[in-house]
Formats: sequence, C-alpha cells, structure tokens
Amino acid sequence: MIYLDHAAATPVSERALKAMLPFLETEFFNPSAAYLPAKRVREAFQTAKSEIANFIGAKGNDLVITSGATEANALAFTSVIHIIKAREQVPQKMGKILVLETEHSSVLENAKRYPHELIKVDPTGLIDLADLKRKLTDDVELVSVSLANNELGTIQSLAEISTLLRLEKQRRLAQGITTQLLLHSDASQGLALLDLNVARLGVDLLTLNAAKVSGPKGVGALYVGHGVRLQPLISGGGQELGLRAGTENVAGTVGFAAALSAVKGHSAAARKKYNGLVEILKSELIQAPAPPLFLGHPKHQLANFLPVSFPGLDAERLIYKLEAQEVYVSTGAACAASKGEPSHVLRAIGLSPAEIAGSLRISLGVLNTEANVREAGRLICAAVTAEQERQNS
Amino acid sequence: MKTVFLGMSGGVDSSVSAILLKEQGYKVVGVYMKNWSKDLPGMQCPWAEDLADAKRVATNLDLDFLVFDFEEQYKAKVVDYMLAEFKAGRTPNPDIMCNQEIKFKLFFDEARKRGADFIATGHYAGANNGQLQLAADANKDQTYFLYRISREAVKKTLFPLANFQKPEVKAFAKAHGLANAYKKESMGVCFVGDVGMKDFLREYIDLQPGEIRELETDKVLGAHDGAVFYTLGQRHGLYVGGGLPYYVVKKDLAKNIVYVSKNLNASELWSEELALENIFFRDLSDLPATGQVMVRVRHRAPLVPARFVWTNEQKLTGKIVLSAPLKRPASGQSIVFYSGNQSGDICLGGGVVA
Repeated sequence: MIYLDHAAATPVSERALKAMLPFLETEFFNPSAAYLPAKRVREAFQTAKSEIANFIGAKGNDLVITSGATEANALAFTSVIHIIKAREQVPQKMGKILVLETEHSSVLENAKRYPHELIKVDPTGLIDLADLKRKLTDDVELVSVSLANNELGTIQSLAEISTLLRLEKQRRLAQGITTQLLLHSDASQGLALLDLNVARLGVDLLTLNAAKVSGPKGVGALYVGHGVRLQPLISGGGQELGLRAGTENVAGTVGFAAALSAVKGHSAAARKKYNGLVEILKSELIQAPAPPLFLGHPKHQLANFLPVSFPGLDAERLIYKLEAQEVYVSTGAACAASKGEPSHVLRAIGLSPAEIAGSLRISLGVLNTEANVREAGRLICAAVTAEQERQNS
Repeated sequence: MKTVFLGMSGGVDSSVSAILLKEQGYKVVGVYMKNWSKDLPGMQCPWAEDLADAKRVATNLDLDFLVFDFEEQYKAKVVDYMLAEFKAGRTPNPDIMCNQEIKFKLFFDEARKRGADFIATGHYAGANNGQLQLAADANKDQTYFLYRISREAVKKTLFPLANFQKPEVKAFAKAHGLANAYKKESMGVCFVGDVGMKDFLREYIDLQPGEIRELETDKVLGAHDGAVFYTLGQRHGLYVGGGLPYYVVKKDLAKNIVYVSKNLNASELWSEELALENIFFRDLSDLPATGQVMVRVRHRAPLVPARFVWTNEQKLTGKIVLSAPLKRPASGQSIVFYSGNQSGDICLGGGVVA
C-alpha cells in the first residue's frame, strides 16, 4: 500500500496508542467520580490537556476538548451569540462572521447559522486582504480563516490578518464602538509542520484535530483566548467548565497529547523531509504525457501537500485505477461517493470544470518514503497515460 | 466493432456482464442510471455508493462510463404510479414499470441516440430475434419483470447472463477479482436500498388507522396502521395474535377496514379466472388462436397452463381461465404469459390483475 492521503486521516502512532490503552482498560474510571482511582484519571486528563495547550503556547484551562475539529469550529462560532438574560438562555443578538470562501465545510456550514459573509481568495488560495478590509464592517465580530487549507495546503499569514484586525479594533475604539472582533483559525492541517503559538498567530480561537497528526479520530480541541465568551453546544454534567458536557474522552485526549509530543520540536525537520519527497513526486509527475498543473501557492504551502490537476481527465477514474494498485489518493473533483458536488475550493481559485474534474489531492505523511513516493509517481503517470489513451481511442 | 451501452448498477450481475461483453469483442460503454437519490429519515439512499461501485468496475475494465440522470422521469413514471396504485388499494410492481419506462425505453432511446448498436443489462433473461426468452437459471429468471418491454428494444438488447447460473456468475466475479462480487444484494424497494416498502410509503402517503375485522363474523380483531399496507393473501403483521394465522382477504378502502380470515379456502383468496387490464403483447401474432398460454402469476411462481380470452372488442381487457384454482394475486400485480408449449420458453406479454 502507498498512502497519499494524510490530509484525510493518519494512522495512530504507537506512542499515542500506548498512551491511550491504559485508559481503555485499567484506568477506565469516570474522571468525575469521588474515589481515588478516578482522581488519577482526572489528573491524567488535566495533564494531557496541559500538554496539548502547551504545544500552542497556552494553558490547559484555555482548551475545550471536543469530538473533533467540526465541533470545535461550531463551538468557536458561538462566540458571536450574545445572551442578555443569562438565566433564560435566550440569544438576544448575533454578531456577524466573516469566513474564507475556501474554508472546510465544518466552518462554512456552521457559519450559515449566523449572519455571515465570505471573503475571497486569490488563485493560489491566499486570502484577498482587500476584500477582508472591505467586508470588515462595524457589525463583524469574528473572522475565521484556517491556518492551512485542507485541499490546497495554502498557508495564510494569520499574523498579518490579526494585525489588520488589531488596527480595526483601535479604529472602533476611537469611534466609541465596543463590539468585539475575534480571530478564529482552524489549524487541523499542518499541526506537525507549522508554528502554532497562539500569541504569535494572534488568534483568539484555534481549532485543533488529533486525527491529522497520528492521534485518534474523534478528538479535537478548541483554544479559547481570554475574554472570549462561548455558549455550550451540549449541556449536561458541566464538564469542561460548562462548555462541553459529557464524560471526558480521557483516552482520546491522552492519545492526542502523546501524538503531539511525538512531533513537537520536529517541524523544521519534517518540512525538510516533505519538501524533498514532494520534489521527487513532482519530478515523476511531470513525465506524464500531459503534465499536471500544480495547484496552490508556490511558497506558502504545507510541505506535505501536492494538489495537482490533469485537465480533461476524470480524477475519480484515476483514483480507481490507483486503488487497484493499492495507491490511495484523494480527489477534489465531483466524486461520486461524495454525491457529485465539485470542490468549492477549486471553484473559488478559479479552476475550470475540466481542471476541477482532473484534480487530485496528494498529501504525504508518516507512511511515505523516498522509494514509495517515487513508485507512486510512476503509478500515477501510468494511470494518467492509460486514461489519456482510452480517451483518444 | 459494435458498441453496447450496458446498464451498470454496481452489483455483481451487471459487473460480470461488462466483462463478458468485453470478452465478446464489443466496445462497452458503462452507464449508471441515476433514478433516485433522495435519502429518507433513517435510511440513506445507496445511489452514490452504487454509482461509485459501477464506475470503479468500469474504470478497471477500461470502459467509458456515463451517468444518465433519469430522476425526474423515474419519479413521474415509476414512483408516482406506484403511490397512486397503493392509494387506490392496489399492489403495484415498480420493477415492471421501471423496465418498461426507464431501462428499456429512456435508457434504450438515449443509448441509441448516442450511437449504441445494442443495449445490455445484467438481467437473467434471454433475447433472440426479438423474442424475450427464459433465462437458463430458472430460479433467477427475471422475465416476469421484463414482460412489457417492446419488441424493438428486445431486438437490440443483449442479456449476457442468459445462459448463466447465478452461482457461476458469483464464481466468475470472484475469479476476475471484482470487489463487489459479494456485495449484499438489496432486498428492499429497488431504488431506496434496504428499506421496506412500508417505510417508504409512510413518507409519502397519509395513513389512517382503522379496523381489522374477521370476514366471516365481522368481529373487530384489532387495528391496522393504514389499509394501503395490506395486500390480498398476506399473512404477516396483522397483530391479532394467537392461534392459526389470519390472511388478508379483502380491503374496504372507503370504510378503511381490512378483512381477514383464518380460512385459507376463503373464496376471496382463490380464483380460477382472473380479469386483466392493461394487456400487453410484444406481438399480438404470438398469441395462439386457441388462447392457450402458460402463465406466471408472480415472480418465481411456476408456469401453469391457462387460456387467455379477450373481454372487450378493443382488446383492452381480457381474462385468463385456469385449469385449477390458484391463490389469487392482488389487483395491480401482473400475470405474465409465455408460449403455450410445455417449456414456455418465450415470454409473450401479460396483463395487470383488475
């Protein structure tokens, strides 16, 4: 098997798995229980949270552990809900949200619950800052821009965006406008490759996802900056400071922390490794009879991402051909199994229908080596050649 | 090289058909007919998964592959017909209608328009010189569902599985490494996957609870959740409890009463004569002057001899006369005619129980 879809899922690392197992077996106690063994579990959970928080330069209590990035994104958006009569829990007012048009559906679909507008991107997937400025009206309370796009790997300069927002906040204050202005970012992609320090990024809310960094699926976290008020999506036993009820996913959280500890401090080395592998893959792909377009930003792109398009080909057919050789890759095209909706991301960067139909998202990771990446490149070229020949026959 | 447009569902039968046609030297174009894609509460429509399976097989055989979107027509021609029949207290057969209106009409026409010399499907049936023939696998034979397809369509249709037994098809699929060789076959409503008809109807028909009464005594035995759910001869799901099973023998839709009986010999359940409407012959000249045919009263039922008689001059209605009483099919169901010789190997047409 050659796996080229690490942006979709990653295998749980041995370190994470080992860390988790005790909490599925002997240390199964409910962390809310009063007896001593439960206290140990409670402490393990808090320690894991602190480690995850530490990874982004925050404290354990700044995090809410969620069932994944989707829930974290949904929770982040509750920051624009204003409840005046706290006791009645009636939302009185909702601020406006600006989201990037290329965001993951977990951002876009949740934004639809609120007043919102979309910010445009340029053909490389970078945010159109002029468009952001234009749409940054007084009623905007939250701007949500993912750190790296999940289809293109395009990395946004959050520091630049947060600087822009800080200037806007100053302008508002000078005019006596007191509406909040928060920056949220979904950092599900690129956890192992980018600087995630919340202070340097300048974010108020940050979404993390264990599943993309060799942690378990179904575990995510939302960093909540000081002064940000959220409304719980799930009510119950008051866990997570009342922001996320339900018995804590101790094993998952411990696994997430262990997965992060495995990549901590290695991001520069990892970037170098994936840059090399991507170059090898590129050198193979350009040998196809009709070489691909390389998508995304030439420089501000996750090192492990290689989104490409073979215009005029049906990427879904390429996937089936490659799958028969045990090469697994993803498509941004109108994939039948995803019910035929072509990627909104690829449309947003201005690709033609033929370019979208022929697009593959290759994302490298822990399962890749020089040898298997080279082999994958050859097999992709062979599949492309076969499809081109069939079309021409 | 002749071009065949093959209807591919993602299942084992059409996938094996693709390989067979390719081996026979045809240029095969796989086509997925998208007839229904709506999810219903608690049941996910399998179309996307089926389409992906079909496309996967086509791709691995290096076939061109197309999707024909018949959703609108399918709703109008098949689903609406089905719902109207149920609402009228009858028991329709959507598969027969689908073959008549979609697969062997719309698909056929569209394929021919796009240059197909033939169409093909993975049905267990045979075609020879415009005649629809029984499949070699008598247990799987699907001519009952195909009886209303036109001679023109039969002439240009290939049934690659005509001479195959189902176990052979499965073995063939396995030998050719087809990923879907052992895919579970859908047992529910054809277009909504593994969902019972009852669940489907619940979404579309307003149901009125009513009484279940015993035919002989008129005694109320219990309640039903909608008379449309009950089919003549049905013995399940009456919730009347205990003793010998009850059978549905009559429905009074006006009063919303379902009548049942323990008497398997109730005259309502048996018939020596069946009045038919909507009669279809692929070619009227195939009907012997004597009217002697073999008939099948439901899918997989044995062929039995019968005499067919027209009952009006315009040849719109007719009846069959059987040599012995048969358990009566519900109105709306089809009686299918086969050639009068003992093997009954040619499907002539049929009619709908009035």
